[in-house]
Amino acid sequence: MTPDKQPRAEYRPAGTVDIATALAPYRGPWSAKLAAHLLRRAGFGGSGQEIQTAAAAGMTAAVDRLIHFGPDTLPQAPEVDLSYGKMVDKMQRRKALFGTELWYLNRLLMTPNPLQEKMAYFWSNHFTSAMGQKGITPAMTIGQLALFRRYALGNYAQLTHDVSRDAAMLHYLDGIQNRSQHPNENYARELMELFTMGVGNYSEDDVRESARAFTGFTVNRRTGEFRFVPQLHDDGSKTFLGHTGNFNGDQVVDIIMQQPATGRFMARKFLRAFVYDDPEPALVDAVAGALRSSGYDVGPLMNTLLRSNVFYSDRAYRAIVKSPLEITIGALKTLGATTVGIRTLAALNTMGQVPLRPPNVAGWPGGALWMNQGVFLARLNYLHQLVMFKSPGTGGDPAEMTAMDMPAMKGAGRAMKGMLGDPAGQLAEPSTWVAGASVNDPRSVAQHVLQTVVQGDATAEQQTNILDFLSTDGVGNHVTLSRENFEEKVRGAMSLAMALPSYQLA
Amino acid sequence: MANRKQFIQQSVGAFAGALAIDSIFGRAARAATAVTTPGSTGARSLVVVNLQGGNDGLNTFVPLGDPNYYRLRPTINIPQDQVLRIDSSIGFNPKLAGLKSLFDQHRVAVLQGVHYPNPNLSHFRSTEIWQTGAPDRIIDTGWAGRYLDSPNLPKDNLFKGLAIGPILPKMMVADKTDVPTVDNLKGFGFRNSRDEQAHADKILNGNGNRYPFRSPYLELVQEIERDAHASSLRLPHLVAGYKPGVDYPKTPFAQGLNLAAAVLASDVGTKVIYISLGSFDTHTAQRARQDALLQQFGDGMKAFYADLAAHRIDNRVLTMTFSEFGRRVGENANRGTDHGTAAPMFLIGGGVKGGIYGDHPSLSDLDVGNLKWHTDFRSVYATILERWLGVKSTDVLGSSFRTLNFV
Repeated sequence: MTPDKQPRAEYRPAGTVDIATALAPYRGPWSAKLAAHLLRRAGFGGSGQEIQTAAAAGMTAAVDRLIHFGPDTLPQAPEVDLSYGKMVDKMQRRKALFGTELWYLNRLLMTPNPLQEKMAYFWSNHFTSAMGQKGITPAMTIGQLALFRRYALGNYAQLTHDVSRDAAMLHYLDGIQNRSQHPNENYARELMELFTMGVGNYSEDDVRESARAFTGFTVNRRTGEFRFVPQLHDDGSKTFLGHTGNFNGDQVVDIIMQQPATGRFMARKFLRAFVYDDPEPALVDAVAGALRSSGYDVGPLMNTLLRSNVFYSDRAYRAIVKSPLEITIGALKTLGATTVGIRTLAALNTMGQVPLRPPNVAGWPGGALWMNQGVFLARLNYLHQLVMFKSPGTGGDPAEMTAMDMPAMKGAGRAMKGMLGDPAGQLAEPSTWVAGASVNDPRSVAQHVLQTVVQGDATAEQQTNILDFLSTDGVGNHVTLSRENFEEKVRGAMSLAMALPSYQLA
Repeated sequence: MANRKQFIQQSVGAFAGALAIDSIFGRAARAATAVTTPGSTGARSLVVVNLQGGNDGLNTFVPLGDPNYYRLRPTINIPQDQVLRIDSSIGFNPKLAGLKSLFDQHRVAVLQGVHYPNPNLSHFRSTEIWQTGAPDRIIDTGWAGRYLDSPNLPKDNLFKGLAIGPILPKMMVADKTDVPTVDNLKGFGFRNSRDEQAHADKILNGNGNRYPFRSPYLELVQEIERDAHASSLRLPHLVAGYKPGVDYPKTPFAQGLNLAAAVLASDVGTKVIYISLGSFDTHTAQRARQDALLQQFGDGMKAFYADLAAHRIDNRVLTMTFSEFGRRVGENANRGTDHGTAAPMFLIGGGVKGGIYGDHPSLSDLDVGNLKWHTDFRSVYATILERWLGVKSTDVLGSSFRTLNFV
């Protein structure tokens, strides 16, 4: 099955890519724009300070810093009671789920290892499962995230083996129901369709046969850990992708990893996540070649990609639509926040990306499918509220949030009360957003605002618009920037800059 | 397929046109002059309900007269005495009392055995097939989206289509029309301080490509910001006069239908509304989960049509349900069912010729455990397009399909 034309969800950059040099190291000029680009792609964006540091370090050092990460000292699990059984009260369950989501968001914001978290996000939207569904507890999701973090730049083939044994996955795609007497095809099908080869590269018979091979992969009900139960395993001969034998799940994964389709499918996924949408088949083939020659080691591939010509090309620059997670965590970084609060969680609900709970097994599709009016309203309103947020007690009560009529968040305010002091997250002082600007000079403030938020990526018309805002009041009379109105004006100008189309693009 | 080439050419041409002309001039103009007059196809509208996740047809519309049903479903069947009977052979799930009451008023057509050639058992792909109307190829627009692009609908109406919920479904993806997605009216609008308003307007209505970078998405972001700005200014005003004629259930689904009724009763020219309910993916413990969802569905539809009747528009609103597939005939070991194929569709409304259409698929002559379909889902779409919405179905579906008699 071949697409008739470019999928509407994905827009390919105009022009053509030079395949011969696409993956060769980039040796062109380095700038704050490219440093910010790197931080957006290899993480969730950077504060003004982080962008400056990466710009000063140069490309090699900035990429080295991202690639070579060590252990972090952030909490490995949320500080809420995660234990809830089948008969638990709803409030306790909500607390555990929301607490885990907030813990995760705080990790994304505060991690010293942005690439590791970005890769874990990539893997979790590839090997999807949804916390709270099909018996997946927060503890299982936290365990799965630890796996993804461990394999951030690890081996994809080995990760596929480990995911096949992962408790959250065994629940999500019904592996725990898959027995020799009653095979359940759910995992076998999605393994091939969404996790490795893509549709069109296997038959319905291959689905049935590989489901048989995975029978007996289950979890210990008491400990929640993986175990293989020989009595539940179908010991008969199976024929899978042209191979015949008494296969188990591991051998099925091994056969899948030998298929050229697997390399291409993953290459396309990496390119979409880190470079641009709808990558050219020739570029996909080049990356697939690199991936297969490294035996599916992702570290060398990312090392190549993040230093490559194509990554720093005009074609890749701001060529990806920020997901809601990227826009929210990115904005908190722009504003120098040190915690993520419940308002961000609420906003993510409205924008259609509840952390750790993708809508279906295909994950969040991204691209143009983030581009619709409702999501954009929610985005811009969140950014505005965030930048206007002053301090706890001045309009940041969790109870306010529950009035926003979001079914998924029902009771959140009550469940979370007392768990977090500050619903919007602690933002840095507005003056730090424009550090170095001449406080009385609207031109200098406008320039710094646009530098911090979009690295100057605005039209002349919009630069004038923001300058106008800083020099006039609500009815158009001239005002002078002063100590008195400075903070208010900077907040407003930041809010305007964050509404620019450039800020919506990674 | 004879018309395939023509179809592709048409849609490529429309796509190029959309980018070159409409998005630069047409959309800005449209945003400035949203109109509220219904299109030339009359005041009829379509509401599409996606029972997402793969709703089990057998426990929805129950073949109580067939012993095979009870044999293949020993633990999850609907006992004969619980079925809301139409006759001795067939009836509704007991939780569908709301829907049954509409059926008894001849306002429900049940189309049995609907699916498509070479059934695909993947949620993702099968949903895409139903939403694009293209089982044999991957295309990037939805069938309702292509209808919304048709030249005999007003080009400058922002609310021709409306998706209820946070995500734009592929069904509503069009080349030339941005369909708004609305979760609830309360949150639908930009919040700015008054001081910033004029400047924010300038950003949201920003035009042109004089940014110091190029991005394949830049123009699209600008369009969406413009359209969202315009819709959010208008929609709350347009529906301000609406008062619900009934109390809706408190479920999110019924609340979504309430919003749909507000839009339909306010005559803003909306032709297609999308809403979803789910997930019906009942691999385990099917009865409790499916029953609860069907109750939400039936009660929601009953309230919706009572409200539409109170506003005297129940005869102009047709509701169609679909699900990406039905489920396996035999139950699995977990009191659930796995992905299957054919299932019934419901067509609801005052304009519907109520009754049962097509035979129930055989429960003994199966295709690897799955029901054999006999009615192509595109026949249903073609019927709605031709007989309800009054457009040429081949323009939307790419080739022609037999129409049915339910409207």
